[in-house]
Amino acid sequence: MRCVRRFDLREDAPLKERDFGSFLGERTAAGDRLLALFAEENSGEFLIHALLGNASGGTFSHACFRSSPDSFRTLTEACPATHWFEREIYDLFGLVPEGHPETNPLRFHEGWPRKFFPMRGAGAPPAEPRRGYRFLQVRGEGIHEVAVGPVHAGIIEPGHFRFSCSGETIQNLEIRLGYQHKGTESLLAGPPGMRQILLSESVSGDTAVGHSNACARLLEAISGKPADRRAEILRSAALEIERIANHCGDLGGLSTDIGYLYGASHFGRLRGAALNLLMRITGNRYGRGLNRIGGVGPRVPGIGADDLLAELSLLRPEVERAGDTTLGSASVVARMEGTGRVLPGTARTLQIVGAAGRASGRDVDARRDFPSPAFEGRPPDVVVLREGDVLARARIRLEEMRASFRWLSGALPEASAAGSRTKGPRESPAAGGRALTVSVEEGWRGEIVHAAITDEAGTIVRYKVVDPSFHNWPGLSFAVRNNVISDFPVCNKSFSLSYSGTDL
Amino acid sequence: MIESIVGRFRTGSVTASIPAPPLPEPFRGMPVIGETFRTGGTAAVCAKACATGAIDPEKKTIDLGRCVFCGLCEEACEGVGIRFSQDPRLPWGKRENLVIGGGSVAPPEGASHDLRSLLGRSLHLREVSAGGCNGCDLEAQALGNPIFDLQRFGIDFVASPRHADGLLVTGPVTKNMREALLKTYEAVAEPRIVIAIGACAASGGIFRDTYAAENGAGGVVPVDLFIPGCPPHPLTLLHAILGFLGKYPLTGERSSRRGL
Repeated sequence: MRCVRRFDLREDAPLKERDFGSFLGERTAAGDRLLALFAEENSGEFLIHALLGNASGGTFSHACFRSSPDSFRTLTEACPATHWFEREIYDLFGLVPEGHPETNPLRFHEGWPRKFFPMRGAGAPPAEPRRGYRFLQVRGEGIHEVAVGPVHAGIIEPGHFRFSCSGETIQNLEIRLGYQHKGTESLLAGPPGMRQILLSESVSGDTAVGHSNACARLLEAISGKPADRRAEILRSAALEIERIANHCGDLGGLSTDIGYLYGASHFGRLRGAALNLLMRITGNRYGRGLNRIGGVGPRVPGIGADDLLAELSLLRPEVERAGDTTLGSASVVARMEGTGRVLPGTARTLQIVGAAGRASGRDVDARRDFPSPAFEGRPPDVVVLREGDVLARARIRLEEMRASFRWLSGALPEASAAGSRTKGPRESPAAGGRALTVSVEEGWRGEIVHAAITDEAGTIVRYKVVDPSFHNWPGLSFAVRNNVISDFPVCNKSFSLSYSGTDL
Repeated sequence: MIESIVGRFRTGSVTASIPAPPLPEPFRGMPVIGETFRTGGTAAVCAKACATGAIDPEKKTIDLGRCVFCGLCEEACEGVGIRFSQDPRLPWGKRENLVIGGGSVAPPEGASHDLRSLLGRSLHLREVSAGGCNGCDLEAQALGNPIFDLQRFGIDFVASPRHADGLLVTGPVTKNMREALLKTYEAVAEPRIVIAIGACAASGGIFRDTYAAENGAGGVVPVDLFIPGCPPHPLTLLHAILGFLGKYPLTGERSSRRGL
C-alpha cells in the first residue's frame, strides 16, 4: 500500500544534529515535502523525527536526531516549513529551538504553569520556564492594531487574530491559536484499538472520514489486519463525498461573506444533501462510524452502490449548476479576483498543501502521489491553478468536486461488483522492535498525516497527527497582507482551516 | 441574475417539517434498550465495548451525555442489548435527564414559565465553541440553513453576547477557553440561559480526563439545557430547544419512550 510506510527504528540510527539539518534542507530543496516533524521521549532521551514525502517517486523518507534535553538548533533556516512544528515541540517537550524566529507558545496561554510541558517525563526537568507570548509590534505613523477573537461573530471555532493596519490596509496579521488545545495526542498513545479511531474522527469534526481513514490504515499496518478491496473503495468513496460536502459548504460560506445569497442558500442546501449521503453510508452526517480496524463498520454501507450512484447523479448537476452560476456571476468574480493572493513562491516556501496549495501552483495531491488502494492507478484528476487568489481557491473547489463526481461514478460500480465483505488476508504483525509507521490521506483540506511510534510489544508510545491546517495557517497571514481588513473574512473562508486539527 | 431567480423557483421549498419522520438506516439515533440489557448479561458486554464509559453495567443505564453514538455496544451485543433506532429525538434537559434505562425519570422541566413567556417567541443565542472538534459547531451552523431553518421558530444566532438571551456552548471547555467562556457568559444580560450541546459539553466526551480540558461546560457555567449527540443531528437540536421552550409536545409518544 503506497499510502502507508513502516520504518524500522533499529535500522534508522539517529543522525548527527548537523547532518539532520542538511538532510532536511537538501531533500526539501529537491522538492520533497515535509510531512511531519515531531519529538518523542524514549528512555530519557529526546529524539526529533522528520518524515518527508517525494511526490514524483511516491516515496517516504525518515530521519531523526538526538536532541539535548534543553535545546536544539532551529531547522527553519534549512526548511522554513518547520516553523510551527518547532514551536509545537517546544510547547510539548520544553526543547528550545535555538535561533527560531518566533518561539511564541502555540498551545499554552498565560494561565498555564510556566514549567508545564505535557509530554516531558518527570525525570528530565526543563532547563527554563516557557517564555511568555509577545505579539509582533509593527511601528510607524498611523499604525493601529485590531484584535479579533477568540470568540468570533459567526458560529466557528475560537482563535485570536491581531491585525496591524495602516488605515484599512493590513500590514501584518498574527494568528494566535491554542484555544482548542485539548491534549488529543496524549490520548492517542496506548495499544492499537477502536479508541484511536474514535479519537481520529474527532481530530477535526468536518474531516472525520479523512482522519479516520488515515488512522485505520495506520493501525492495520501495525496490527497486520489489512482491509479488503471493497472496504477500501467505500473508504475512498466516503472521502470524496466528504470533499464534496465541505467544498459545497465553503462555496456557500464564501457566498455568505460577499453577500451573494443565491450561492449561500443553494450551497448550504447541497452541502446538507452530501452530508446526508454520508449518513446513508455510515449512519452519521460526518461519516463517523465508517472505519473499524481491518475494514468498515458492520452496518456500512447502509445504501447500495447503485442507489448511491443514483443519488450522486441527482446531486452532481445541481452542484455544477450552482457552481457555474456563482462563479459565472460578474459581481462574484469581481469581488474575489485578486483578493488574498498567495504567490506560488510563497506557497512553495511555506509548503502549503491541499486545495489552497493547488490554487497557488503547488502540484501536490496525496491521492495521486501516495495513493490508497482504491486510488492506485486511477486517482481523481488533479487541478492546479497559479493565480493564488480567493477566486482560484473557489474555482479549485468547484473543479475538484467535478473530479470527485467523475471518480465516484467510475469506482462505485466496482464496489457493488466486489460483493459482500471478505475477510482480508491476515498478515502477521510486523516483527518486534521499535518502529515508526506513517499513513497519509488527502482529506478535503489537503494532506493528512498520521504517524505512530510503536515499541517492541506493538504498543503506540507516540502518536503524531498533522492536519493540513497546520501547514496552511501561516499562508493565511501572507494572503491578507496588503489587503484591506474587510477582506479578511473572505480570505479566511477561502482557506477554511481547522482550529481543532491545528490545536489538537 | 436570471439564472439565480430561475434556480430559486426550480428548487422550491426544502425546509424540513417538525416533528420529523425517522431518518433512514443506518442512522444512529435514540438507543433502544433490550430486555437482556436490563435483566441479562448484555449490559456488561456493552459496557466493555464502550469507549467513553457511558454504560453502567451495575445500574443498567446508558449516559447519553457520554455516549458518542459510535455503535460499538450494538456490535458487541449484536443488537440484543442496545439497538440504535433512527429517531433523532433524544432526551434533553438537566444532566441527569440524559441517563436512560434506570427506570422512570421525571420528565425534563424545560424553561420556567417566566422564561417561556420572555423567550418563547424570540430567543437569540451566542455560540461559544470551547474545545470541541467543530462537529457540534457545524450542526449548530446547519440550523440556519434552508433545510432546518431555525429562524422560523423565532430563534437565531447573533454576533455579540450583548445581543443574546443565552449561550450555546460546544466542546469540553479547554483550559485555554475557560476565561473566554466566562467573560462571554458575563456579557449576556440576565435573565440568560446556557445550552450545552454534544457529548463533550456534557461530560468531556471522547476527550474526557485530559490535562488540557474540563469535563464539560457544567463545571464552568450553569447549564440549563443539555442536548446529547456526537454531534447532535440538527433535528435533535431543534426538538430539544423547542421542547425546552415548551413549543414541542412533551407527552404521549415521547414520555412512553422515556420509560424504556
